[in-house]
Amino acid sequence: MTVMRDTVVKSLARVTVQADENGLIPEYEVLVNLLPVALLNTFMERIMAAAPPERKAEVEAGLVRAAYECGYHTGCGIITSDIFNEVVLPMVTEGEKDILRGAYAAFTAWGWAKSGIVQLKEAEKMVIRAFDYYEADSGGDGLRGFMLRGLSQAFFDLAYADPYPDGMDTFVCHQTKGIEAGDPYGEFIVVKK
Amino acid sequence: MPVHYEESIDLMNKDGGLKGNLSLTNITDLLQFLSSSAKSGVIRLQSHPGGEEGKIHFVGGELVSVVSKNLSGLEGLADLLSWDQGTFHFLPGVAAQKTNIGLSVQHAIMEAVVLLDKQASTTVNETLRSDERSFDMQEAERSSTEVMNDLLEIPGIDAVVVVGRDGFVIESAGSSARVNIDELGASLAHSINGIEEMGSELNVNRFQDMFIEYGRAVIMCRPVGDAVAAIITPDASKLGIIRHKTRKLFEELGHSF
Repeated sequence: MTVMRDTVVKSLARVTVQADENGLIPEYEVLVNLLPVALLNTFMERIMAAAPPERKAEVEAGLVRAAYECGYHTGCGIITSDIFNEVVLPMVTEGEKDILRGAYAAFTAWGWAKSGIVQLKEAEKMVIRAFDYYEADSGGDGLRGFMLRGLSQAFFDLAYADPYPDGMDTFVCHQTKGIEAGDPYGEFIVVKK
Repeated sequence: MPVHYEESIDLMNKDGGLKGNLSLTNITDLLQFLSSSAKSGVIRLQSHPGGEEGKIHFVGGELVSVVSKNLSGLEGLADLLSWDQGTFHFLPGVAAQKTNIGLSVQHAIMEAVVLLDKQASTTVNETLRSDERSFDMQEAERSSTEVMNDLLEIPGIDAVVVVGRDGFVIESAGSSARVNIDELGASLAHSINGIEEMGSELNVNRFQDMFIEYGRAVIMCRPVGDAVAAIITPDASKLGIIRHKTRKLFEELGHSF
């Protein structure tokens, strides 16, 4: 048995993502912001447009970093949550590889990106493919999957770097293909920094 | 009364028999058609462009003798199954002078396909070893999309799907658009999981092939790297030749996953 994506998606999709009085989703103990993706895309494009050409790479790195920080901390909350333990852990037979499969299934269940693992060399490299991610609709030039880059890097750090919170910045994620750039899918490759 | 092969040459000149081109029907289909109608006789084959000759004698549903160039028996049949260009001529009622197979048509085809697989595997391994030697100079790996498009070129293949072990549909090509591809991915992953658990319980190797028959349609699955590729064919009679022709491409696809 390995983690079955459809089982995870069906189970997690039932969870109500409504914030409690502290602004947290009770099942995951993580902060929730129900914002339309158009707002996030507009924010990203405006901040990119505002940057002078020589500083665009810095702004891009900042956007990836924001997703990474969020992904690392909330990702840890998610993979240690009761519901993740209840739904995913019984199917885990391949250790971290299965935890990552479960994490991308969760990612899909919440509508962030229909994404999954294409290739994984434990603690070395991971190739992710995404077919439906909101950043593909940003309308900007070039590859725009900053959120997926940050989160993929965070997930791999959580799985294979030093235990939370000491494993930050061990791996790095590059985007090599993007729907926004005319490719049939987005491709993200995580490797050692 | 059966006639012998030499006599059949005269007969062929007198009686046209059944003639055709291998680009229109393959040898597997031809044998299955003739054996299902309980015919007996010889099929003479000539390859194009090489002009090599082959003969298949059968009686009812049983293959009696096969000769192809200097190969005979199952080796000869395996060689003939790999021909896709050439002509055939069936002459009814012609008896073989000696027996070198003695298996049912279906059984003989399956044995010959297994033999072809082994030969292809040896060739692929040799090619891989040779590629490894020259790898320092070039890294010309084709993309999974290119390999999948090549798979679709094989006659009889309707669709190709590559699915992760968790059921994530990594890539699909062909007429899979009419099915719910995510449901298919999930079903395949669940099936493979069950089969691998069974293999583990039985303490045998990891699964290598899985065939699911639905009437005439077949889904054939094979591991490609850490993922599983499935091809969908609406015509099970082509499975032998499909299995042979896909082998090398599946090996290549495995490099991407």
